[in-house]
Amino acid sequence: MNEKKNAGKSVWLFIALLALFVAVLFYTGYTKSVSDDQDLVTLVPWTFIIQICNLFIQVYLIKKFLFKPINDILAKRQELADRAIREARDAQTKADSLKEQYESSLTNAHAEAAQIVSDAQREAQNKADTMVREAQEEVAGIKARAAADIEQEKKKAINEAKDEIGSLAMDIAGKVVEKEINEADHKKLIDDFLNKVGA
Amino acid sequence: MNNGFEVDYAKIYQTIKTGIPILGDIKITQTLIVSWIVMIIITGLCIFLTRNLKVENISKRQAFAEMLVETGNNFVRNNTGGNKFDNLIPFVSALFATSVVSNLISLIGLRSPTADLSTEAAWAVVVFVMITATKIKTNGFGGYLKGFTTPIAVMTPFNILSELATPVSMACRHFGNILSGVVIDGLIYWALGLASAALLKLIPGAVGAFLSNIPILGLGLPAVTGVYFDWFSGCMQAFIFCMLTVMYIANAAEEG
Repeated sequence: MNEKKNAGKSVWLFIALLALFVAVLFYTGYTKSVSDDQDLVTLVPWTFIIQICNLFIQVYLIKKFLFKPINDILAKRQELADRAIREARDAQTKADSLKEQYESSLTNAHAEAAQIVSDAQREAQNKADTMVREAQEEVAGIKARAAADIEQEKKKAINEAKDEIGSLAMDIAGKVVEKEINEADHKKLIDDFLNKVGA
Repeated sequence: MNNGFEVDYAKIYQTIKTGIPILGDIKITQTLIVSWIVMIIITGLCIFLTRNLKVENISKRQAFAEMLVETGNNFVRNNTGGNKFDNLIPFVSALFATSVVSNLISLIGLRSPTADLSTEAAWAVVVFVMITATKIKTNGFGGYLKGFTTPIAVMTPFNILSELATPVSMACRHFGNILSGVVIDGLIYWALGLASAALLKLIPGAVGAFLSNIPILGLGLPAVTGVYFDWFSGCMQAFIFCMLTVMYIANAAEEG
């Protein structure tokens, strides 16, 4: 920064010195010979040569002081813009690939979730089926047992009834014949009768 | 006050005797002095415009400098159709800048260097050499010579004439326009001076005699006529000169 300022100062000093030089030339010119004029339309060889040199000096100066710095800056800015675009494109590509990755993993997750759900459903169905079957079997078992019990009770009741009827019959018969019937002898007889009736 | 009209001749300040036969003495004329002033102005402007350049967040000054460079680049690239003549850009820009500043420097009372035929002749000859060099580079020396015999051999003298007419016409066109501006400006100031002198002499006594020496009418009108004769003509001639330079060189680079 300081160097730049110094450079700027020296440039202005240079310009001031040149201006002074020109002023002195003007002054000497005016005092020396005011009437010493050049023709209006003329080709002065030295002026011609010096003007060619001036033109090339000007080309060099304008190239050095205007075109080179400005073109450098423009190229730098171009480079900056290019880099920004390139970086943006890279980021885009990366984002795209990430997105794809996410999408694929998301799809996988979806499939997995569906799998889990369907597995659970199947398992639940199986369990429910098993439970129903077991319940049915149990019910069937209970029913069968109940039926057997009933049958047994029935048999028991019938047997009891038979015994009762037998003893009743014996009592009746004893009363009818008024004689002690040997119970043991006649028991067989009555049982046979009852069996015939019960059959 | 001098009542006769005289054109503003280029003054000779110093004559350096050289004794070289054809070239003669070096004369430090108004043309050369003002040319150097013009160069200092342009270079100073370039240095001023390109101080503290930044890539981002640029100042108005830098924006203007960049605009100038872009304009120069586009001017040459658009008129030659490509980047083939990029090394011509500083030359054309320098030519344009020098021409414009030289033409317009008459506005601050200095004599335009472009009101001297030597200046334009110098530029035109440089351009002519460039055209010829481009032609020879494109077609070879044989091809360049052969180009003069087209379309038929009889046309050769006319072709040579037209070739030589290029720099002459370029130089004389520019010179004539600027010189005519100088002459017309001089005439207007002279006429207005006479008119104001005649008008103010109507005031009696010493006051009128004193005031008649002040060309009071010369204040407004020359600014109006100057818009055309100095501003428009000056910029136009610089533009035409550069345009022709680029066009001629671009044409010379075409195979023919």
